[in-house]
Amino acid sequence: MIGCRLRLDAGSSFAEEVAGLVRTLSAKAGLTARQAYWLRLAADEITTNIAQHGYGGRGGVIDVEGAVEPDRVWLRVEDDAPPFDPTGYDPGPRLAADPPLRQEGGYGLLLALGRLDGFAYDHVGGRNRNTLVMRRPGAAPAGG
Amino acid sequence: MTFDATMRIDDGTAVVRLTGELDGRSAPTLNQLIADAVAAQVGRLVLLVHDVTYMSSAGIRCLVFAHQKLPRGAEIVLVGTRPEVAETIRLTGFDRSVVLQESVTKGPAEV
Repeated sequence: MIGCRLRLDAGSSFAEEVAGLVRTLSAKAGLTARQAYWLRLAADEITTNIAQHGYGGRGGVIDVEGAVEPDRVWLRVEDDAPPFDPTGYDPGPRLAADPPLRQEGGYGLLLALGRLDGFAYDHVGGRNRNTLVMRRPGAAPAGG
Repeated sequence: MTFDATMRIDDGTAVVRLTGELDGRSAPTLNQLIADAVAAQVGRLVLLVHDVTYMSSAGIRCLVFAHQKLPRGAEIVLVGTRPEVAETIRLTGFDRSVVLQESVTKGPAEV
């Protein structure tokens, strides 16, 4: 298993660090360009959401860890903000509105979860844990 | 990744050429150009995005901003959208309100 780890200050500009970690993992895993793009976008949106909404822009710790396994790549994003489960977010009402009349925000989580092969949320030891999964090319589909 | 945006306004149309990554860091630059275009009372906004290699939800928010600020009925056209960027727009439903084109056409966008 090949792993990477980052500790981010949510009050700083960390997008490039996250992108770099995802690039490294994606290259090691042999992900397609499309998979690497969507994994990066998911990581970007999840960490940005934590910084802006979880910590409310006040700063805090975001831990990002990832690894390449034989069949998949995973990223684990942990923070100490109040509990928040992204899978409970319903973009339906926002998408139903006519685009010119929509609110500005609320698309990040939709994009984050939109093209991953797997996503899980857990609240562990007082921390939010978001796990993002992309299957490696050629790996068999997840059987459950 | 550097980001660059330049705008030219001609005959009621604002044409903005974007290069690089459109994310939370670069979106304010685009929003400022959109505000400038609105101040110039354009009725059509054309974004040349062949060289936009990445777009996060911050880019989607720019489209919402443009919709909110431009006059009702103003056309927003994205030209040369890369596959992942186009998919991002479709996933959020904005393909219903902006025109995605392969190349530039004059006047109202061709269907």
